[in-house]
Amino acid sequence: MNLIWASILIPVATAAVIAVANARAARSLAAVGSLASLGALAAFAWQFPAWSTGAVFPEPCGCAWLDSINATLGVGFDSVSLMLALLEAFLIPICVIGSWTAISDRQREYYGWFMLLHASILVAFAARDVLLFYVGYEFTLVPLLFIIAIWGGPERRQAAHKLFLYTFLGSLFFLGSILFVGWQHHASTGLWSWDMGTLSSFASARLPANTQFWLFAALLAGFAVKVPLFPVHTWLPLAHNQAPTAGSVILAGTLLKLGTYGIFRLALPMAPEGGAALAVVASVLCTVAVVYAALICWVQTDAKKLVAYSSVSHLGICMLGLFALNPVGAQGSVLYMINHGLSTGALFLLIGMAYERYHVKDMDQIGGLAKRMPVWAFFMVFFTMSSIGLPGLNGFVGEYLCLFGTYIATGDASTGYPGLLGPGFALVAGTGLILGAMYMLLLVGRYVFGPLREPKDESHGKHAHDDHGAGHGDLTGREVGLLVPLALVCLFIGVYPKPMLQAIGPVVERTLAPYPAAVERTLKSQPQAAEAAKAEPKEDDRG
Amino acid sequence: MNPIDPQLPPGDPLVMLGLLASAILFAVGIVGFLSRRNMITMFLCTELMFQGAGLAMISYGRQHMDLSGQVFVIFILTVAAAEAALALGLVVLLYRRKETLSAEAWKELAES
Amino acid sequence: MIAAPAMLSSVLALAEGPLDAHAAPELRWAGLALLLPLLSGVLCLLCGWMKVRSKLPAALTIAALGGAFATILRLQGVVGETPVVINLFDWISWTWGDASRFHGFTANVDLYVDRLTVFWMLFVTGLGTLIALYASEYMESDVGKGYTRFFGAVSIFLFAMGCLVMGGNLVMLYLGWEGVGLASYLLIGYYFTKPEAVAAAKKAFIVNRIGDLGLALALFLTWQCYGTVEYAALWKAIEAAPASSEWTAQAIPWLLMLGAFGKSAQLPLYVWLPDAMEGPTPVSALIHAATMVTAGVYLIARMFPLFVVNPDALAAVAWVGGLTALLAATIGMAQYDMKRIWAYSTISQLGYMFLGLGVGTTFGASYHVFTHAFFKALLFLTAGAVMHGFAGQLDIRKLSGLLKVPGFRLVSLLAVLGCFWLAAFPFTAAFFSKDEILVSAFTAKDERVHLLGWIGLVVAALTAYYTFRVGFRVFFGPVKYEPGDEHHGHDDHGHGHDAHGSHGSHGSHGSHHGHHAEFHPHGPRWAIRVPLVLIAVGAILAGWPSYRTMLNHDEPNWVKTQVVQSSAYQGGSADSHGSHAGHDESSNEVAHAEQAHADHGHLVLGMDAHTAVGRLGSLACIAGILVSLYLHLINRGAADALRRTLMGSIATRWIVVGAERKWMVDEFYDWVIRLPLRLIANILSAIDELLLDAGIVNGLGALPAAVGRLFRPLYGGVVQGYAVTMAGGVALVAAWVIWIWLRGAN
Repeated sequence: MNLIWASILIPVATAAVIAVANARAARSLAAVGSLASLGALAAFAWQFPAWSTGAVFPEPCGCAWLDSINATLGVGFDSVSLMLALLEAFLIPICVIGSWTAISDRQREYYGWFMLLHASILVAFAARDVLLFYVGYEFTLVPLLFIIAIWGGPERRQAAHKLFLYTFLGSLFFLGSILFVGWQHHASTGLWSWDMGTLSSFASARLPANTQFWLFAALLAGFAVKVPLFPVHTWLPLAHNQAPTAGSVILAGTLLKLGTYGIFRLALPMAPEGGAALAVVASVLCTVAVVYAALICWVQTDAKKLVAYSSVSHLGICMLGLFALNPVGAQGSVLYMINHGLSTGALFLLIGMAYERYHVKDMDQIGGLAKRMPVWAFFMVFFTMSSIGLPGLNGFVGEYLCLFGTYIATGDASTGYPGLLGPGFALVAGTGLILGAMYMLLLVGRYVFGPLREPKDESHGKHAHDDHGAGHGDLTGREVGLLVPLALVCLFIGVYPKPMLQAIGPVVERTLAPYPAAVERTLKSQPQAAEAAKAEPKEDDRG
Repeated sequence: MNPIDPQLPPGDPLVMLGLLASAILFAVGIVGFLSRRNMITMFLCTELMFQGAGLAMISYGRQHMDLSGQVFVIFILTVAAAEAALALGLVVLLYRRKETLSAEAWKELAES
Repeated sequence: MIAAPAMLSSVLALAEGPLDAHAAPELRWAGLALLLPLLSGVLCLLCGWMKVRSKLPAALTIAALGGAFATILRLQGVVGETPVVINLFDWISWTWGDASRFHGFTANVDLYVDRLTVFWMLFVTGLGTLIALYASEYMESDVGKGYTRFFGAVSIFLFAMGCLVMGGNLVMLYLGWEGVGLASYLLIGYYFTKPEAVAAAKKAFIVNRIGDLGLALALFLTWQCYGTVEYAALWKAIEAAPASSEWTAQAIPWLLMLGAFGKSAQLPLYVWLPDAMEGPTPVSALIHAATMVTAGVYLIARMFPLFVVNPDALAAVAWVGGLTALLAATIGMAQYDMKRIWAYSTISQLGYMFLGLGVGTTFGASYHVFTHAFFKALLFLTAGAVMHGFAGQLDIRKLSGLLKVPGFRLVSLLAVLGCFWLAAFPFTAAFFSKDEILVSAFTAKDERVHLLGWIGLVVAALTAYYTFRVGFRVFFGPVKYEPGDEHHGHDDHGHGHDAHGSHGSHGSHGSHHGHHAEFHPHGPRWAIRVPLVLIAVGAILAGWPSYRTMLNHDEPNWVKTQVVQSSAYQGGSADSHGSHAGHDESSNEVAHAEQAHADHGHLVLGMDAHTAVGRLGSLACIAGILVSLYLHLINRGAADALRRTLMGSIATRWIVVGAERKWMVDEFYDWVIRLPLRLIANILSAIDELLLDAGIVNGLGALPAAVGRLFRPLYGGVVQGYAVTMAGGVALVAAWVIWIWLRGAN
């Protein structure tokens, strides 16, 4: 408990210290603060007793926040949220230290905002009270707005504007839904409660199916913007493209995961009837996103934009696994959230490192950098392989389980979890494997390999000033030091995912507990669909 | 106020005349305010509306046999005097800036 | 309370895996065959880190691969008829619900060691070691540059290939499958500053990915049908329910096939292999001829129980194999780049292997894999030695009479030996293995594949022709050569930096080499010669099992023994064969075929199939060689004249142009798949940016502003304007109040 608050408050305190400290000390202070926060959270994780039970620890306290409606400051982790929080705490020091040379103006504000961003993301993952979750979830926008709007690329204003308004609009659906559920709870029991567990069990058991349908739709609409799902993804490429490197890393790394986490934590448990009813629609969107975004990636010339669109494609697979509504897919999905954060975050970091040297990320102007920066090229290939799901690296397990879960999510109940998707969805989403290789290897083939192409104006005075001695040489020790931990974690998850799978398993089963029944009901309510599902194998027999 | 309000019977001529005069004063004031561009004239028109409102209060005061209406009017007169001093001072300042009394010279509030 | 330390200790405990009690203790070391290449891979990475500028990486790799080979040799001695599963550590494994069947998924890092595994690993590690030794000299001009990277990738390749072959479940196979793909990608793109190499590497990876998707889906289906993807449990499940008629079970072989066709370069996915020749020659020999491309054959052989129940799928495999063999042979006849010719011949020979699988002789296919591995590696390596000595020259029109060039006699002799083997000259190893396949094709139960026997014979003749076209042109005849465009003294093999690319693409170079006159080819030294000789010995010895069987009919073919006692030979569980001796072949497809031929049930041209195929095959081979002898040695002008004649007539012109331009398959794919996809992608990108983002999203974003603009005239900045608005507002409120009042009054 205290360690959780320590990990949240240390960055806040660091931000306060940075605000009054010397500008030159800001980056060191931020690094110390973020590492201390990671340390606190790691210490908590070390003695976390619920790795294999799926329970929430510690029991959320009733400590008052808004007394009149009984909103609390309840925080607590289960293994899934703890893993995501650890990912966040792990990425933040990398972002901070990765910005050491990239950010040269207004350093105090930059690192201060970063610390606040960190704290609010941790609040969101730790919260057990939906209102507190909302506050953490929503407050992330404020630091991010400033980080993008001040330290971003040439279109930073527009990007920040769009990011803020777009995701804010999405959050309103989410806020409306949870207020509705809280109000219903009050109307039905006479008590106010905003505890996630209480509200979930109340809503799933007491709200009629029709209400659950709309509740799920609203929550999905809210979180889909954040994920982002097709077709509400258009803020993401712009934001990624304009954000400073560290902003992109944290955006891809954990901010998007707030959306997937929200669906996993709130939408699925609160409205199983709605989830079952809407799973197919949502999955169609996911599947479209996989192919659509992958094809768009393939024709991008801007390296950063390519990786940004690849996030849309990847998260399509991730969400598809979730909507498979069986433990295989959901396990894969949760694992995929973490893997995507690691590998895409690392790719953004790498692109940022090259950008710092050349100030160009358009692959028409720059390429073949392996000749100049072999170490950079090594990491680039490594994380590309991780991103396209090479077995033995982290991407594989999550992606594979997501597709696997989708595949076996047929009406057949032999797994104990009948589903609504099936081979067709897996086949279409599976083309993402091919398309993923196509665009990522295009990136590697042009950006990393091939004949060396450097921008002509490299001797430009402004650049020399910005370089801070990084020059055009290979990665510095500091940069390698950032990438090696990421690579090691990727390798570890790829080689030995068992502890993570075992930790995620119970939580997933708990979340999906109401689903077999709900899916059965949905299947029954769609007699034509059910008949078609039965008729399908016969047709294939003939053929 | 008293639960039983002593009241003149409806249709007292003095009250009706007073109300009519106040309505005319107010109408003249508002039309003048909306139609004229000279700031001093506009200010005079606001004064007219003020006095119209004051006259209405006195009239209702008489109708209700209550002195509060007249008390308010005395307050309004003092406030109006102070306001007149302030407003005319502002008008003088504005005139010095642009050498004109037209209100149209001042449209910084317009969007774009 | 303290669960995390427990997690850590379980990580440490995975070092020792449990083992069946009855298995030989040596089997415990099977994991070494994987660990050693992995170790050398890691050490190469460290070498790269430390910027080692010596041949240390090569030494490490050779030592590790040699160790792996020794391990496999040791295993060969002890591996029994019962497969042994060795669990190294848990990888993906968990259950849900009541943990019954279909309530859990297990894919651990297991090794499944049976005779087929060991047989396959034997030539993989053996050739791997020899080719690494060869490469240590071949790549020496890159010492300090790409040398470490090269050997690191070779180590990764051997590790992944080990996972593929020894893995105990389909997910492990998939790991190896993708791992060899990665190694192949890295090695094809070894000269990474050369755009062709990068493009070829990318193409190889992507085309393989198409197959991989099939493999992945097959894996899901397997689980869905049988509840497991582990071989041992899978065989049991199949035995329990052998011939499921559900579409799911029927679809598995088709999807597996897709994966196999991708990796083994068969129609329609073969297009990556010729381009893969952009990689250094040892890579072509090791990965793209001897080992990796046989992974598809291994996959189908290993999963044969799933194929046996589906005759349609088997026939499809046979036909794809046969047609690929034919197509690739015709292309190979018309190419001029020595490596490309060998590449097409690899595709063609792989076609034979699939033909063999399709007609049910996993033994024939595996035997052909085995013999092919040696002679094709030999041919590639000799081509590499030539290329190494002649500054990258590979054009068969610009090399002649190398047998008489000092320093190249040994290489030339070995190359000619390889040619005889590839042409399946009577009583060479390949003759026997090809014979096995063709006999099965003629005698197969399934009538639909009999025609393939004849196609196979035609391909045999074509093979002999194009093989000796290279052999006679390059190694015989008058001494004449032009160096390639690599800088002599080979300061740099990665010559492609200056993008004069495509060495050996015909006709692009020649006259502009001023130093042509002073060019002196240099012969290879021992590190190239020794592997060449050893591989040649291997190629000769590969026929040994057949010689012994020929002399003594009761003695079973050694390779057959290896293949029979595995999952590759029947529809049931491997265990059911535990009691069978090697030559006891009842209850399997091939045995059926052979019995049939023993009964003279299948006659080919009135002769018993074996005799007929032997004679016809010899005839085809010798005919091909004789044609080649005339056109390419005795009267070289005749070949050009023939070409001119064919080109002269409209009716025959397409044959030459088609074969030389590889039947336009690449172009076809480009037009039919890549370009439309590219177009769609561009359209989608435009839709995303213009319609979705700029149109809908920004449009909705502009809505509030538009509404504001509607009321803007009211706030023109003039005081009276505001006053009118206010007065109007007051009037509206007043009107509303009056309206309410009037309504109330009613």
